[in-house]
Amino acid sequence: MGVLADVYEMLNTCNKCGGCHTACKTYKLTGSEEMSTRGRIQLIKAVADGKLEPNQEYEDAIMSCLLCGECAVTCPNGVHGNELVMAARRDLKLRKGIKPFAKSFALNTLASPKRLGMGFSLFKGVGKSVLNKIDGLDYFRGIDIRNFPTAKKPFLEQVPEKITVQHPKHKVGFYVGCFLNYSLDQTAHSVVKVLTKNDCEVIIPKDQVCCGLPQYAYGDFETAKRNARITIDTFLDKYSDAEVVLTACASCAAMLRHDYLTLFADEPSYLSKVKLFSEKVVEFSEYMAKIGVDQSKLHNSSPLTITYHDPCHMVRGLKVTKQPRQLLQMIPRVEYKEMFEANRCCGAAGLIQAFYHEVSTDITVQKTQNIKDTNADLVATSCPACMLRLQGGINKAGQKQKVMHVADVIANAYED
Amino acid sequence: MLSQTVVKRLKEIVGEKNVVTDKVGLLTYGYDGTLLSGEALGVVSPQTTEQVVEIVKLMNEHNIKLVPRGAGTNESGGTIPSEESVVISFTKMTKIHEIDTENFVAVVEPGVINFDLQVELEKKKFYFPPDPSSFKASTIGGNVGECSGGPKCFKYGVTRDYILGLEVVLPNGKVIQTGGRNFQSEPGYDLTRIIVGAEGTLGLVTKVFVRIIPIPRAKKTMLAIYDKVEDASQTVADIVAAGIIPTTLELMDNLLINTTEDFTHAGIPRDAGAVLIIEVDGYPEDMDGQVKTIGDIAKTIAKEFKVAQSAVEVDQIWTSRRSAFGSVARVRPSYGVNDITVPRSNFPKAIGGVLKVAKDFDVTIGVVAHAGDGNLHPLILFDQRNKEETETVHAAEQALCMMALDLEGTISGEHGIGLVKKKYLDKEFTPAAMEAFRKIKRSFDPTNRFNPGKVIDL
Repeated sequence: MGVLADVYEMLNTCNKCGGCHTACKTYKLTGSEEMSTRGRIQLIKAVADGKLEPNQEYEDAIMSCLLCGECAVTCPNGVHGNELVMAARRDLKLRKGIKPFAKSFALNTLASPKRLGMGFSLFKGVGKSVLNKIDGLDYFRGIDIRNFPTAKKPFLEQVPEKITVQHPKHKVGFYVGCFLNYSLDQTAHSVVKVLTKNDCEVIIPKDQVCCGLPQYAYGDFETAKRNARITIDTFLDKYSDAEVVLTACASCAAMLRHDYLTLFADEPSYLSKVKLFSEKVVEFSEYMAKIGVDQSKLHNSSPLTITYHDPCHMVRGLKVTKQPRQLLQMIPRVEYKEMFEANRCCGAAGLIQAFYHEVSTDITVQKTQNIKDTNADLVATSCPACMLRLQGGINKAGQKQKVMHVADVIANAYED
Repeated sequence: MLSQTVVKRLKEIVGEKNVVTDKVGLLTYGYDGTLLSGEALGVVSPQTTEQVVEIVKLMNEHNIKLVPRGAGTNESGGTIPSEESVVISFTKMTKIHEIDTENFVAVVEPGVINFDLQVELEKKKFYFPPDPSSFKASTIGGNVGECSGGPKCFKYGVTRDYILGLEVVLPNGKVIQTGGRNFQSEPGYDLTRIIVGAEGTLGLVTKVFVRIIPIPRAKKTMLAIYDKVEDASQTVADIVAAGIIPTTLELMDNLLINTTEDFTHAGIPRDAGAVLIIEVDGYPEDMDGQVKTIGDIAKTIAKEFKVAQSAVEVDQIWTSRRSAFGSVARVRPSYGVNDITVPRSNFPKAIGGVLKVAKDFDVTIGVVAHAGDGNLHPLILFDQRNKEETETVHAAEQALCMMALDLEGTISGEHGIGLVKKKYLDKEFTPAAMEAFRKIKRSFDPTNRFNPGKVIDL
């Protein structure tokens, strides 16, 4: 009860006006009240009041939340539905541990680099050839498994620990993150390319681990803290010469900058170190806009229409929206087109796409339609999870757009 | 508990996932925008008129009551399953069948959200004027049930004035169509107008023919800022007396200015006693004249008068106004809302009355009002967990209702009667009128199975 008691006043501040209905995609697409922010809050309150014993249906209501955070922006009372859901997930974890098996297995795998490497390798080589033979698995739960990219070798094994430039102006620590390491290594290379083209020396610690967000999101604060400590100590102690800790994954960035502070709020002795770390964290577009990209070096021969998808952790987590759009528009012959609801969740939402695929598929279908309506050739975004989800959705809808990270788009605009 | 037979039949009618009988699901269909709650026997979400008919027939066979529900954002307790009943939720009937801009009519299912309809209409440069503050969440079916109003009502009228016809499933399971797509009044008794605002006690609406109109070419939004709420109410009376009808004439007092500023940062001065949000619409060339006339009237009392300069500013102002109810939990966790309405000319007296009730009962009241309509929403703030305080609030609410009736007003302008105001209805109407209400209810629903216990007791 402790966790829910801590948030009880916020639970009680929801006066059920229903203003969040419009913000909540899981409600809008199902029409089911228990899939709305208001519904979830009232259920959590019922548990806190001892009127409801958490059961499977309760768990589904809590676990199916996208944590997109739009409800928090919409609520006139300033009730943060996503934070209340996080508290409920933590409460569930303390009550029962993380169930079912699949979710627990997925989270443990993500937390351990070795097991994670094995997991991603399922999608290549023998694993992939087996998967390809099973037609039913083709679009397993809305995830385009057949086209799921995997790095031949993890990015961290492909690059040296330090990449120097002739006249370094900045020293950047690169927190790669799981997706860029194991799956979208090309994007990681793009990040390095753009940084080095702009006179940044790049430091890439080999011993980095998962940021802990997947575990944190499901209430496993212990594992999340363990990974957070490794990350913080690595960058602050071993590589203290890095001026900033840069990541090209919006979710990792929000976790490193904001959620670490929440996570260690109860450990004052370590918290000051977390604060130092948090202040060093920058997201790719945010950093490039800050140090400035030399526009004269960017080339592009044929007209290109680009639209941008705001990852939840980018727009509501980091509150960064202008910079990626500015960077994209620096490229010659680019026409930028804004899509409808660019800042709404794409349906990936961490593990939601795997565990609550029906609703997440509907969300993605809406998103791909919004993309189609712009007539863009290319969708840029700032989160690898969104990239994979969007490309899968676009392929499934038979559309042609290519999804790329902002870093990829910029990197491609350099002639060599 | 519903019998296995009934649950099985319901699932056959609407499909497995559109029937809810588990505790978690039922909990979330037991509340609305009020402080009341109940627990339904089950929740069923039909997707077609035929399914609604089947459900009604099945419920009749088993003598089970039905409570219709849209988004559950109402302020009257109209969707609370207060008696043993099944909730019939219309949130999955969301088709917009037709938008006919030549004949100014749209045909929609009841679960279409007001805002979603506006988005589609806007693409064709049309709109549907009734705009309750909950319009981003509330459904057209719910708006019809409660006969919702909204800021634009001053000039354009309430939901009732924009419903051309309805498809209704009656308590006996038969389907009728009232009115239609024609603009003129219908032959025979005006059943459309009896069903609108009946809160689902007479029939279940499954299709709505709404009147739509072209979006005005121009609009101007003004803010008049006052030291005292009484001063603002005087401007309202002066504008009305001058024979001007703005699109909207909305009032918020100091408390609401502050709670909404916390959320929207619209820049309304926090030390102001009250603000009037005044909007006019029409042809571009008419704007300046209207703004000047209104400005001249307001400036005689207001300490500041300004015209919004950008679309962003207008948006912020309206977000403030629309989030007024939602925002007050920043002060206290619970609120009781009234929608007492008085003749426009009595508006300043009603404001005085509200202030007096706040003083007499020593309660905190925030005032937001569709001032042009004489429609007030005094929000009494409290904490429901405090029993004594809650009782004082109920007494104050009653005093507000009596005050409105004394000023030749009504206890409900637009929120409906539901459960919350049922006990005051016979203060407003004579025994003969109350009996006429009962007769109407009995003639539609002799066994009292549609939204029982709402509006009137039989």
